Amino acid sequence: MPHIVKSTILDAPTGAVWNVLRDFNGHDRWHPAVATSTVERAQASDKIGCVRRFKLQDGSELREQLLALSDLEQTFSYCLLDTPIPMFNYVATLRLTPVTDGDHTFLEWTAEFDCPPERETELVNNIGGGVFQGGFDALKRAFGG
Amino acid sequence: MARVYVSTVVNARNDRVWARVRDFNGMPNWHPAIAESRIEGGEPADKIGCVRDFRLRNGDRIREKLLGLSDYDMFCTYSILESPMGVENYVATLRLTPVTDGDQTFLEWTAEFDCAPERENELVNNIGAGVFQGGFDALKRAFGG
Repeated sequence: MPHIVKSTILDAPTGAVWNVLRDFNGHDRWHPAVATSTVERAQASDKIGCVRRFKLQDGSELREQLLALSDLEQTFSYCLLDTPIPMFNYVATLRLTPVTDGDHTFLEWTAEFDCPPERETELVNNIGGGVFQGGFDALKRAFGG
Repeated sequence: MARVYVSTVVNARNDRVWARVRDFNGMPNWHPAIAESRIEGGEPADKIGCVRDFRLRNGDRIREKLLGLSDYDMFCTYSILESPMGVENYVATLRLTPVTDGDQTFLEWTAEFDCAPERENELVNNIGAGVFQGGFDALKRAFGG
């Protein structure tokens, strides 16, 4: 099972970063790959089990379900329900941890999934180097880092 | 139960930082508060259960037992057996996590212990801001960060 781990440091306290990231329906406001986001059935975006529907900048659509969200641990996990990419059992977690020495944020984004073996290298690069690092780069522009 | 949490970022890959801190008998090599260290009974310093006998620069002696050491997850957990600090049930963990975006290392040093209630603030501050942050500052001087 491919496993992706990406991490970075942001020049802002975890509280400020969490205020932006905790909205499961707000990733279109900070991630450059996401064009629009809506939560199905008008559920609250912090209701565990809610489903967000993304339209990406490239026109593709995907649906993701919120599995866990913790304001105490400043982390959330979600899985992919529908995607045009052949990935299965995809579960990702985003976690913030304080850097007490300087009031910065350690941000870690991980994912596990199954896929056809011949697509593994490409998908790991696209998700880790593209989606996750692309999100980090946008957050670093917003918060400094 | 009192809890200490201190974290920092060092400008070196985690394998280089781990090579410096994994030696349970090697703290005098990097921590400015530690004058001498030896492992009791001539045991190897990476044998789980071994006991290190410290002498601090201020003359205090502390005996600590290695509870866990993982080269894979890069953490070290230990307890205090004897110290003049007035703490009970003291367990501490030093953990390294890679920052993939830039070849840095995120270090977390945590401790939990029981103590007299009126001494809790003083001890949390001495251990967190003194011992742990003092070690981080020395590592940052050694590696940059």
